[in-house]
Amino acid sequence: MTQPLLSVNGVSKYFGGLKAVDEVDFDVFPREILGILGPNGAGKTVLFNLISGIYQPTAGEVHFCGQRIDGLPPHLIAQRGMGRTFQIVKPFGSLTVLQNVLVARGVMRYGHLTKIWGPWGSKAEIREAMEVLDKVGLTELAQRKASLLPLGNLRRLEIARALIVGHTVLLLDESFSGLRHDEIGQLERLIRRIRDDGRTIILIEHNMRVTMGLCDRIVVLDHGRKIAEGAPKDIQQDEAVIEAYLGRKGISHAS
Amino acid sequence: MSSYTITIGTIIVIQAIAVCGLNVIVGYAGQISLGHAAFFGIGAYTAAMLSTKAGLSFWTALPLVIAIGGFIGFLLGLPSIRVREDFLAITTIGINFIVEAVFRYVPFFGGALGIGGIPRIVFFGERLKGMTFLLLCLVFLFLVLLVCWWLTRCWASLACYAVRDEESAASTMGISHVRFKLLAFVIGTSMAALAGSLYAHYMQFINAGDFSFPVSVGFLSMLVLGGMGTIWGPVIGTLILGVLPEIFRPLVDYRILFYTLLLLLMIRFQPGGLLGEESAMRRVLAPILRRGKA
Repeated sequence: MTQPLLSVNGVSKYFGGLKAVDEVDFDVFPREILGILGPNGAGKTVLFNLISGIYQPTAGEVHFCGQRIDGLPPHLIAQRGMGRTFQIVKPFGSLTVLQNVLVARGVMRYGHLTKIWGPWGSKAEIREAMEVLDKVGLTELAQRKASLLPLGNLRRLEIARALIVGHTVLLLDESFSGLRHDEIGQLERLIRRIRDDGRTIILIEHNMRVTMGLCDRIVVLDHGRKIAEGAPKDIQQDEAVIEAYLGRKGISHAS
Repeated sequence: MSSYTITIGTIIVIQAIAVCGLNVIVGYAGQISLGHAAFFGIGAYTAAMLSTKAGLSFWTALPLVIAIGGFIGFLLGLPSIRVREDFLAITTIGINFIVEAVFRYVPFFGGALGIGGIPRIVFFGERLKGMTFLLLCLVFLFLVLLVCWWLTRCWASLACYAVRDEESAASTMGISHVRFKLLAFVIGTSMAALAGSLYAHYMQFINAGDFSFPVSVGFLSMLVLGGMGTIWGPVIGTLILGVLPEIFRPLVDYRILFYTLLLLLMIRFQPGGLLGEESAMRRVLAPILRRGKA
């Protein structure tokens, strides 16, 4: 069996008495699209913050490419090739769309005091950034200031930045929410293409149709605990999942 | 030029260098500082001590002054950047008061009497005063502006902008916010130290009161007026706030009232400063500049 690219072992995060994430385990394999599903407040975003280093886990370990990464600050994890987006978009508002992507392009420089004094935006770097913007469909807005963009475009911008940083793994936190129907289709195609280019994707999504259609495997969280894991069709039948979403009564209706 | 004009001009140029440094911290990296006069003072006192007690010339002392200014900026920056926004503002005010108190009460730094007898700068055997000193200051201002301009073009500034706009997003792009805030602090405080050194050698006598909290407020007002994060903003802001009080000398009693009003009006109508990106001035200047280029 192939080695997992990312493995989460018994990871917990407590905020005081609240167990936001409670002993969650799962593995992610290379070139997989893994969905994280769960009702509001299930701990999905907290889990992403634990993987990307924004929070330190209360207990448990996270391994990425065979190395332990829990406890590392987010910038060091990013430098290892993990990119992520945020559920609440976080553009660099005073910069242009192109500059936003260029910030991400510098990911390998910021760790070296000698590599940060050169000028940004060489022709090759701009070409590369424009290629990524083309992938997400923002070419025309490259010179627009990021703070002026509507939500749908900001979600694409987040993906563009994460694409450059995350040459190994991408964590997408509700990238579909707030998108129009046709935009959802485009984004689905984009995510498949990214995976076909050899990357691994973990995504949090509320849209059932998208999750079921896109993901190879799904992990379901509820109240911070993992309640199910498996292929989309198995998840759809899973009693614990139906209960979490529809309540106890839902089971009799669903069956 | 009369010696009066030259004096005003020299002070403005020295202040502009310090405000350029403040711009790196506040404008580029987005870290509010209300204690910039402390670092201006640290530069001035270091230069004064090195020239009066150690007998170094301005030129041999200068690299030391800048290094010490940057190093103290680094040390004081370490705890400061752990706090944000209002708390950072208060912390930097605290730094200003502590540094001023050290100058005032520690006998080693001349105590309440300050330090006098600071020699003039000698350049190729000539003692610089009046016009020649102003020229020297202008050369330094030019060099500082050059550094500021380069900073806007290099990766370090892109990282600083990212930290300023969205710290957590920047961290997921490999940017350590601690590192880049400290970097801005060190660069900004070294520039303040350079300005302080020029100030000490110009005044030939310094005292703790020259580096008190109101001076920091003045620096920040100049920066806000001119335009945070712009290259020429610090120069324009310093020029206006340096010249106006001279023109309106009879109204000196109302100076603070005027400053406050000006700042309120700027924040209400031109939050980016006179040279800020969507400022009225830039809109007027843009077509002219474009025609110039074409």
